Amino acid sequence: MKSILETILDPMALSVCFQPIFEIRGGTKHIDSLEALVRGPRGTNFTRADILFDYVRRKKAEAAVDRTCVAAICNAASRLPVETRVNVNVHAATLGHGSGFVEFFKRHVKERSLSLDRFTLEIVEHAPTCNVPQLTDSIIELRDSGVRIALDDVGLGQSNYRMMLDCHPQYFKLDAYFVRGLAGDSKRMAVVRSLVALAGMLDSVVVAEGASSEDDLLRLAEVGVTLVQANILCPAMPLEELQRLGHVPDPKVVAYAAPRQRPFRAVDHREHLRMAAGQSFYT
Amino acid sequence: MAEKILIIDDDEQLLGAYREYFSESGYEVDCAQELEEAQTLLAHFPYSLVITDLRLSKLAFGGLEVIKHVREQSLDTRVIVLTAYGWPELKSEASAAGADSFLKKPARLRDLGLAVDKVIGAKA
Repeated sequence: MKSILETILDPMALSVCFQPIFEIRGGTKHIDSLEALVRGPRGTNFTRADILFDYVRRKKAEAAVDRTCVAAICNAASRLPVETRVNVNVHAATLGHGSGFVEFFKRHVKERSLSLDRFTLEIVEHAPTCNVPQLTDSIIELRDSGVRIALDDVGLGQSNYRMMLDCHPQYFKLDAYFVRGLAGDSKRMAVVRSLVALAGMLDSVVVAEGASSEDDLLRLAEVGVTLVQANILCPAMPLEELQRLGHVPDPKVVAYAAPRQRPFRAVDHREHLRMAAGQSFYT
Repeated sequence: MAEKILIIDDDEQLLGAYREYFSESGYEVDCAQELEEAQTLLAHFPYSLVITDLRLSKLAFGGLEVIKHVREQSLDTRVIVLTAYGWPELKSEASAAGADSFLKKPARLRDLGLAVDKVIGAKA
């Protein structure tokens, strides 16, 4: 009989939903990228992602499950139009423990005839310990391969100032906690404004998660946030549903207009990351 | 609204029988087969009652960990311990950890049902 973890570690048992990240400028919006969100096996306690990953962390099986998720996401992403960018979540612990994740990720992407520069890895971390030199080496290798790096849940838990310096992300994903209800809360607005300014100084771009109203969106635009991921714009859903609603063209049916790629300033991330690598371990 | 019960036992067949019995009795039932699964569910859902085997998989006294975890999360949740062990000192330890009631394994479904009704009734 399969153990619970063995069940979860079967990529075919997982399902993948996608939630668009929109670029909103001057009242018009288009899809910048899609975040791949994994759901656990149906008929188990782990269908909900928050429960699935809570369990995985308790089992200290982040690296194994991150690999399984990558395999499931690459399968799903192979059905996307070739220009569509895809965001994938990965634990910092997976990148920081020399688990061979980077090689695994690159191999799987290539096996599915996908291009590495279509991917952004969103680094999540819930544990306070991480091998910084190994994490840094992994990030350097990924960025050299064209993969972009995002720091997820910025402002909460382990997505702190230190992770900003250690990961040198191209994107700050502001947690919904700071964004939801922004319009009626001057203190939240102050926090978001400061994070936008900080992101700019660190050559990063802010993605705001969880706006809950048109007013929230207006306030985000006011502080210069153009990338937004929110259920009020489009919730996470299976690819087929996104295609049916016209958010994502079906490559078999429609010729796809490539989304605009936002250029990044050519900064030397290696020097910065190597400084971070000079640290030994989080304590 | 139906009272929510979490039942923890590493015997999948037994869990199936418990689930069926208590669902038919009007309870909302979740099941877990191991400590970490139980801890995860306890972190996400409020339960009126937890029924746990004392021995879970390779953990001889994993049920004690469950009881401690329940008490960390909530003082309101009741706990019934099922155990094949007859050691009084173990019962004392489980009581000290916060268990409300004990049943010797194997327990008949009807006896377990009566214990559940009693514990939930006492809570109300």
